[in-house]
Amino acid sequence: MRIFESTHIDFLGKRRIFYIVSISVIVIGMVTLYFKGIPKGIDFQGGTEMQIRFDNDVEVHSLRSIMDNVGFTGMEIKTMGDAKNLLLRTPIQGEGQTISDKIQSAIQNGLSGNNFKVMRIDKVGPKIGKELTDNALKAVIFSLLGILIYLSFRFQFVYSFGAVVALFHDVLITIAAVTIADAVIPSLQLELNQTMLAAFLTLIGFSVNDTVIIFDRIRENIRLFKNEDIENVMNKSVNATLSRTIITSGTVFLTVLVLFIFGGEVLRGFAFTFGIGIITGTYSSVFVASSIVVDWKHHVLKKQNKLIRK
Amino acid sequence: MKKNLTRIILTLVFVAVAVIYLWPTYKDYTLSKELNQLTGNDSIEFLNKYAEKIRDARDGRIKLGLDLKGGMYVVLDVDVVKLLEDVAKKKDDPVLLKILEDLKSVSESSDENILKLFKAKLAEKSLTLKNFYGEMTEDESTIEKKLQDAIDNAIDRAIGVVRNRVDRYGVAEPQIQKIGSKRIIVELPGVSNPEDVRKLLKGTALLTFHLLKEGDAAGRILNDINKTLAKMRDSSTTNLISPNLGTDTLKTKEQVKKDSLKTAGQKDVKKDTTKVKKDVKKDDKKDVKKDTKKDTTKTKKDTTKLKKDSLTTLSDTSQESDTTKPASNPFYELFDPELSQRYGEPVVSEINKEKIERILNLEEIKAVVPSDVVIAWSYRTIEEKGSKFFFMYILKKDPELTGKVVTDAKYTMDQQSSGKPIVTMEMNSEGTADWARITGANINKRCAIVLDGVVYSAPVIRSKITGGNSMIEGMQNLEEAKLLAIVLQSGALPAPLKIIEERSIGPSLGEDSIRAGIMSSAIALLLVALFMVFYYQFGGSIADLALLINVLFVMGIMASFKATLTVPGIAGLILTLGMAVDTNVLIFERIREELKTGKPIKTALEIGYKKAFSAIIDSHLTSVITGIILYIYGTGQIRGFAVTLLAGVCSNLFTAIVITHFIFDILLEKGKKLSFG
Repeated sequence: MRIFESTHIDFLGKRRIFYIVSISVIVIGMVTLYFKGIPKGIDFQGGTEMQIRFDNDVEVHSLRSIMDNVGFTGMEIKTMGDAKNLLLRTPIQGEGQTISDKIQSAIQNGLSGNNFKVMRIDKVGPKIGKELTDNALKAVIFSLLGILIYLSFRFQFVYSFGAVVALFHDVLITIAAVTIADAVIPSLQLELNQTMLAAFLTLIGFSVNDTVIIFDRIRENIRLFKNEDIENVMNKSVNATLSRTIITSGTVFLTVLVLFIFGGEVLRGFAFTFGIGIITGTYSSVFVASSIVVDWKHHVLKKQNKLIRK
Repeated sequence: MKKNLTRIILTLVFVAVAVIYLWPTYKDYTLSKELNQLTGNDSIEFLNKYAEKIRDARDGRIKLGLDLKGGMYVVLDVDVVKLLEDVAKKKDDPVLLKILEDLKSVSESSDENILKLFKAKLAEKSLTLKNFYGEMTEDESTIEKKLQDAIDNAIDRAIGVVRNRVDRYGVAEPQIQKIGSKRIIVELPGVSNPEDVRKLLKGTALLTFHLLKEGDAAGRILNDINKTLAKMRDSSTTNLISPNLGTDTLKTKEQVKKDSLKTAGQKDVKKDTTKVKKDVKKDDKKDVKKDTKKDTTKTKKDTTKLKKDSLTTLSDTSQESDTTKPASNPFYELFDPELSQRYGEPVVSEINKEKIERILNLEEIKAVVPSDVVIAWSYRTIEEKGSKFFFMYILKKDPELTGKVVTDAKYTMDQQSSGKPIVTMEMNSEGTADWARITGANINKRCAIVLDGVVYSAPVIRSKITGGNSMIEGMQNLEEAKLLAIVLQSGALPAPLKIIEERSIGPSLGEDSIRAGIMSSAIALLLVALFMVFYYQFGGSIADLALLINVLFVMGIMASFKATLTVPGIAGLILTLGMAVDTNVLIFERIREELKTGKPIKTALEIGYKKAFSAIIDSHLTSVITGIILYIYGTGQIRGFAVTLLAGVCSNLFTAIVITHFIFDILLEKGKKLSFG
């Protein structure tokens, strides 16, 4: 069976359209990010967070008024999955266990008869969030640098430049998608936490993998078709690897979809983010990384031609 | 064929190694399954019989992260600034204190080397370390080195103390490690009572021994506080001191009831305490007799026996004033009459404790409390009437001894006489001499064991202890004895610890995560495997075999490196499977391409592998780069992800390039017809 038997699609000829598509998605996403933002998880925000499982259903607003009464005004309360599982979060940290103790006794008093079990308590100091952000930024920057250096050795600098731009593109698109998704479907309960961070780092790895494989074919084909136009050679390469691209991205997307559906609360944010990353990573390998290489080469060629004419 | 032989041997060796490393995990699983089916005596027998096997299996199995297992994760920050303050030549130099204060706030949001920050701060004021530290003859770099050594030493000791405490507390498989320049991560799987652990980890200040202020001295202090408070309230200049204000927003109905109960119970106290006084006298005589007879080196913690000190005064004064003005005992009112009487020392509810602390902070009250005493609270609490109660102690401010002299402390059951738990404590020679002098001069007085300002025990000194070996008894249960032994062992920590991050995960959440993780992995694996067979037919089935070997290898690598499996780790595993598929897809697509040009299968196979190789290497190496960087800069969970990713990349390279290749080679040699869909 073949999904794509010898395709001859002119991917790179349409690159300008896709430049516009990418830029508009990023712009829309950034505007949304600016006005709505991605909710920050406890890891980045600092404070106390509790996950509680009740025996019976609980109404969020009644729990909220109980919390208001004991002084935790404006506490963030969300259901997780059903009305028995609730997430409570306050930016207040308190010393030791005091906050979570107070919350527990308030629930005990306010919702007597509805027994509950504390599933998880997280208390994070405010400086942790800053460090986490710093470390994440460091991880991303150094990953990109490492990739840039490695690919410069294995290919030409233009290629590694194109790959890194594609990675930036993927990260921005995914941030945009997560922000928009959060604004449109709040029930996904996406928030910036360590797991989502891991998803971003994974998608960088995945996207560069995809790009490298197309570049590998280009590298091979340039040697084979020395006299052909670079754009043609690249189109050939993208078409030749298309079958692999679709199958791999498809299967990885499938696994991520399974994670999204069955992986539980913890992995849902990861799965969503990485799922978006797979799509944009696949897309950017062709329409960003390869396109940039084509445009660069054309630019260099034009310059050379001008010089020759002179 | 020869080439294939080495490959086969290599593969078999790797598979065998992976199985060996995974064996304990399997063993652990079956053993705990068996154990779960047994109950009572059978399970104890089982544990005894297989003790070694169980231990070996535990040591070698793949560790589950806290997110899968439940437990506690704590990040401690060592307060190095405090150390810098303590070792300075002139501790109260205002310039230095100001700089240290600045340093403290800076160091809170930074994990930079603190000495560097400190030097920068000093340089701003054109000062150097030499201004505050070291000898005249030492130069700046020597002083810096010495300070750095002191800091490193303090952190190492803090880690040692934390490890010691955690070990003594009996948590299975704790993980304690230093991160950054001054932080300690403590992971305690399966801890069910986070409160105890928290206090253990945080109880880090000096361990000290303080004599208690008892009898008239203590009574006078309480009385003065009470009178001053009453006076302040009478003059009604302000409502601020009213003990009923403050936390009242949090007051529930029950508490209101309790408060009213308390005032109602006031009268009973009067009557009962006079009886108590007599009892105590009798008791004391008995004790003295016993002691002289046996001449044991024994101190006795005496919580059930009533002492004549504060409580007597409490009721005495209430007797005086109660008849005239019932509301003029604003301080005594805060003690719980019933419990105070039962335990023989002031017992205060959690809420009133906060009130008393506020009262003690008032300038007027500070003025009447002698400067050589301090009021401290018990670690032990009583749960009654739906609330927590603390014991209040009046201690001499200056410690008689510090915990540095304690060399060892153990807890056991007293087999000979009472059958009750006891704690034995040993001191070094220096401590022994002091201890003999102190105990000799204070027989029948109480000496509090204080850690971090909290009183863990306040036993009565029974006799002069000359040998350096003391015995403490009167603990309610073995748990309490255990805790006291740990407290005594913790000794002096040069720099206090602060909890800056804390996560506790209930065991049932962990189970849910495991179930979800395993289920989604299994489904994903199955779907992918089915697809591969469907799309690449025979080739796909070989790829599936490689996929399984891959899972085996990744788990084996994790077991051999004693890595911990976390939820993101499971995600990494699934991602690895995706990459393994990709590698096979790359190769198979190449083979198909070659087959299309009409090449025979053998040539197509060779060329396919060869051509796919560069792409595979490049994509895997970039993953290795990101994996390593993730491991370096990631924390906790993300590291777990990086570990599985790296393990996956390595095993994937091997399975895809070596294993599947030689399987195809062998099958071709045997004349089998291969198909790639």
